[in-house]
Amino acid sequence: MSAIFPKWTNWLPLWIVVILALVGGVVTAAVTIYFTQKYTRDGYQPVQPVPFSHKVHAGDLGLDCRYCHNMVDKTAYANIPAASTCMNCHNQVLKDDPRLAIVRASATNNTPIAWTQVHVTPDYVYFNHAVHVDRGISCVECHGRVDQMDEVREVKPLSMSFCLDCHRAPAKYVRPVDKVTDLGWTWSTNGVQAAHLQTVEGKKLVEHMRMESLQSCSACHR
Amino acid sequence: MSEALNNLNSASGKRYWRSLDELADTPEFKEWLHREFPSGASEFTDDVSRRHFLKIMSASFALAGLGLAGAGCRRPEEKLEPFGQQPDASFVYGKSEYFATAMPTRTGAIPLVVRSYEGRPIKIEGNSLFPGNNGGTDRYAQASILNLYDPDRARNYKHDGKIVSREEALKALDDLSKKFSPNSGEGLAFLAESSTSPSRARLQKIIAQKFPKSKWFTYDAIDSDIHQRAATQAFGQPVKPIFHFDKAKVILSLDCDFIGDEDDCRNHIQKYIAGRKAKDGMSRLYQIESLFTLTGANADHRLRIPANQIVEVAKFLNSETATAAGSAQLSSDILKWVSTCAEDLKTNHGKVLIVAGQRQPIEIHLLAYELNLAFGAIGNTVTLIPAQANSSSDLELLNRTNVDTLVVLGGNPAYNLNSFPKPNAIVRFGYYEDETTEQSNWNFPAAHYLESWGDAKTSDGTLVPIQPLIQPLFGGISELEFLARIAGESQTNPHEIVRATFGNSDEDWKKFLFNGFHDFFDFQPVTGKVATNFVAAILTLPKISTSSAQSLEVIFYRDSKVDDGRYANNGWMQELPDPITRITWDNAVLISRKTASELNVANGDLVEISLNGKKVTGPIWIQPGMADYSLGLALGYGREKAGRVGTGVGFNAYKIFSGKYIETGATIRKTGETHVIATTQSHWSMEGRPQVREANLEEFQKNPTVAEEMHGKEPPIVAPLYPNPLDEAKKTALHQWGMAIDLTSCVGCNTCVVACQSENNIPIVGKDQVLRGREMHWIRIDRYYTSSPKTKDNPSWANPNADRNLSDPQQQFEQWIEDVQAVHEPMLCQQCEAAPCENVCPVNATVHDQEGLNVMAYNRCIGTRYCSNNCPYKVRRFNFLDYNKRPLSELKGPVYGSPILHKSDGKWKTDLVTWWKDREYSMRPEDEWDLIKLSKNPDVTVRMRGVMEKCTYCTQRIEEAKIAQKIKAGGTDNVRLTEAAGTIPKTACQQACPAGAIVFGDISDPNSTVVAWKDNPRNYAVLGDLLTKPRTTYLARIRNPNPKMPDYHAPYSTEEYENHLHGGKKVGEGIG
Repeated sequence: MSAIFPKWTNWLPLWIVVILALVGGVVTAAVTIYFTQKYTRDGYQPVQPVPFSHKVHAGDLGLDCRYCHNMVDKTAYANIPAASTCMNCHNQVLKDDPRLAIVRASATNNTPIAWTQVHVTPDYVYFNHAVHVDRGISCVECHGRVDQMDEVREVKPLSMSFCLDCHRAPAKYVRPVDKVTDLGWTWSTNGVQAAHLQTVEGKKLVEHMRMESLQSCSACHR
Repeated sequence: MSEALNNLNSASGKRYWRSLDELADTPEFKEWLHREFPSGASEFTDDVSRRHFLKIMSASFALAGLGLAGAGCRRPEEKLEPFGQQPDASFVYGKSEYFATAMPTRTGAIPLVVRSYEGRPIKIEGNSLFPGNNGGTDRYAQASILNLYDPDRARNYKHDGKIVSREEALKALDDLSKKFSPNSGEGLAFLAESSTSPSRARLQKIIAQKFPKSKWFTYDAIDSDIHQRAATQAFGQPVKPIFHFDKAKVILSLDCDFIGDEDDCRNHIQKYIAGRKAKDGMSRLYQIESLFTLTGANADHRLRIPANQIVEVAKFLNSETATAAGSAQLSSDILKWVSTCAEDLKTNHGKVLIVAGQRQPIEIHLLAYELNLAFGAIGNTVTLIPAQANSSSDLELLNRTNVDTLVVLGGNPAYNLNSFPKPNAIVRFGYYEDETTEQSNWNFPAAHYLESWGDAKTSDGTLVPIQPLIQPLFGGISELEFLARIAGESQTNPHEIVRATFGNSDEDWKKFLFNGFHDFFDFQPVTGKVATNFVAAILTLPKISTSSAQSLEVIFYRDSKVDDGRYANNGWMQELPDPITRITWDNAVLISRKTASELNVANGDLVEISLNGKKVTGPIWIQPGMADYSLGLALGYGREKAGRVGTGVGFNAYKIFSGKYIETGATIRKTGETHVIATTQSHWSMEGRPQVREANLEEFQKNPTVAEEMHGKEPPIVAPLYPNPLDEAKKTALHQWGMAIDLTSCVGCNTCVVACQSENNIPIVGKDQVLRGREMHWIRIDRYYTSSPKTKDNPSWANPNADRNLSDPQQQFEQWIEDVQAVHEPMLCQQCEAAPCENVCPVNATVHDQEGLNVMAYNRCIGTRYCSNNCPYKVRRFNFLDYNKRPLSELKGPVYGSPILHKSDGKWKTDLVTWWKDREYSMRPEDEWDLIKLSKNPDVTVRMRGVMEKCTYCTQRIEEAKIAQKIKAGGTDNVRLTEAAGTIPKTACQQACPAGAIVFGDISDPNSTVVAWKDNPRNYAVLGDLLTKPRTTYLARIRNPNPKMPDYHAPYSTEEYENHLHGGKKVGEGIG
């Protein structure tokens, strides 16, 4: 009597297991790599309606972040300045530059400029700028070296694990309150020493300021 | 059958048949065979055929796929739009601003502070700066913010049903003014709601001067002006009484529901509770009434007699004081009750207060003033202040007057006034497009009080401003501007009108607006003597015949939710359970058990009530504690044109209402139909369990730990499987939050429930969902009835056969419900330290934070509902459906929309394309959606379907306060919130409570009030024996009955507890 199933079918279950494991592994790996905010958000750099350069303003000219984002230390939002703020300088500097036409129109007609939001937290996250900025967490920790960017792009994942990294060990990130907007500031010019000082001085600051660095749900979700 | 038999005969060759039908081969059977499933099961019997449905579905999915591929996995792009010109330097994005204003009521105003977020009014709070105010509000004030965002508001100026421009409409007002100028207003009449606004009074005067022949009538369906009218009549000069419930030691209320349905209940509750908690002794409240009201539930002694017999009690008391010969006729039981009460009144001469209810006729009010005078109350607990006499409310005269043009100022006379006249032209100023709109020639949309300038006087005569927080959303006009235009004034700007009325300096004006009141009293209290000839006349009036099953008494009362109908389209109010009946989305014919069984009616039976030849049909609700042969009918329901929420809810009791709130001679007839009533609490009894612990004052003074001693038997403690993470976490935390609720103060007024709904974006779910127990209130008020164990004979709680109150249909006919006591208990998340809900959550969506809050992470919840099942307090609420997205018109069911199938333009549609493009739209009409978005609190997540939610002690307020303190602290360690510094936030319920019954604070701060309350011997935890360690605890309720009274008794609940759980022994004696 001839065999109903050829002999190779004996290996079929094993093949199925192996292939499934491979496929499963690839899918898992793909999800862990590509479905994270690090992949989807990092480097996000939309084109803005006005070719505004943070490098020129915050870096080269040395404007303090809070000159334009003047409510960042008062409220939850780091406001985008009103066009009238731009015009404080630009009614004298680059008065007739065509790149500023939109800003001038906005200031004159009181119509908003539609900037594209770069750093977005989900709606169920209640992030508060002021409480971070006023308590020694620098802008640079979440936004990177904006003073070196011509056009702003997202450089940190801003995911929940990113937030928790800092909230679990604030001493690694905290700095004196008056150095918050000095994006290039470090504890020392020597990198090794700076890292050492960060741990030592950071710990002192955390204790001195009685930082809570909350890790419970209610800190961000309400 | 004969046909079938013929078929049977002709059938040949068939041997087996399964039924006679098959054998006979009837067409029905053929049809049945042909169909695989019974009728209806295989077809989609709706407007949309199955084929059509599938076509659209597949197209939608194809499009959805395209969308996915095209847009990629990125989040949608969001735009940030800053100002072009920076506004006022004080404006800060995301920071709320607060403005003092006031909500006008019929005879006063409620001073308010309203929170505005980026230009939108979000939440209403009481003005705690106002003299003598604790910052509480009432439920109407809390709910009134939803009216602002009501999609069914009148939005357009209309002439004969056609929309006209605002300019055109205003011109019509000018024309009106010009038309009546030459003939001094002959034929011009005004029908206005009462108001305390000095500016309106000023304009009214101007109108009277300009149009001397015009007529002004004041009409309120619920007449609260009677207190003033009676005082004016009694003392012979225009005066208004102020009742000082705080100064009285003994209060006798003659059918006066001053805690519940009377105007200014916020103020009354506040003062009454102050009297209850007075250092020099607790006050005592005697209540004589027929309906079971909130005041009755809070009374120490309650006498249940028909409303029309209360005059006899008043007569008797007057004859006791021997000013006139008595003619009172009372049965011996009542006589004993009343005379003992009278002795108590006499002993407390000068410290008593007798109040008569607004639904009682003026005679009783006059007798009450006479009594107050006799007991030395006038000048002590009742002060009289000069008042402006109100204009005529004689509507008979309005009907007799020859009116050409009637100006209707507010109100809804076509709905609630049976004799609404039909003049040549009706010019209507109103907030809704309602029944009156249909009959009016001109319609002017009224601006909400949060949109308009105005002023008002509180019940004690203090001037308060009404200042707008937002421009009228739909271009409505304010009452003052409307009147000024009719008066032909040159100044029609309402701000200028109010400013002119106010006078004084600009500095004073600014202070007035900032404080929200003007602390300048230009009057002295009045004293006087009651004109006794009235009293003598009343005392000799013949006795009103008692009602019987054949001639029932009908009591019309102001509904505790929809008022006179003005809140009928307010979803929060419709879904708010009545404080006593716990009925939502309906009114009912309240009736006593005895009367119901005599008339053979049960809960839900629709009955037709005939009164004076008029008829109305409504469902029966057997109300414990009702007087026999009385029917209680709530006004304000059965609206024919209220809007998407309120139309067709309940029945319209105005149909048999003729202006008298108490009438006799009604009969009822069973129609044979039934109506389903949605209550949130169908079980009435506590079954002896000590959720609410009570003691009489005497007992409490003897044994202060009486509440603690009711603590249940704890299970033996074995070593816990794992330590509570909170024990470790709280070591480093800054605060530990806790709450205490004083049941002696809580009157059960429901204000906290609406405040919580407003603060926490809690959706309404509709009647059908309430019937399924899916209401979403985070804080609810449990109401329990307790009864004398003599009438409630349950020998053993453990014996299930003895427990006769298992379900509603049985308990409604139990005799024990006849003379009940009621207790109220606010129930919200207890924030257990050892929370049973947390252990069973498979995804850690509910966990503790380090400060002891049991928090909910909505975005983590997957909706298993295990937590809710494991919660012993039943305070977790689940979003069974997307309540926030459901159109208001579909609240009533029976089919609910979903993204896949929803109703639009009256047809069921499936519209996945729209849904995919904008998942927020598709279900709700655009106007509803825009308005609901405006009304939401931006600090609280709006929950979606499939998510559990619950109270978190207003965690958003706690975080806001903590962040504010941290910002202030900067680089220092001054981050702790303390009561001493006044930085502890208030929860929404606490802030709204007029009685101050709720205290929230830091229990790790030994100086905080909450700790002091928790150290009180009355403090106990509900179900504390389950070892859940709740952070919310309760202070036992203390009653203060008079030991000499014939109905003196230990609190029934305590006695129930002793009989059922405590082995029949007294609390304090210990259990054997």
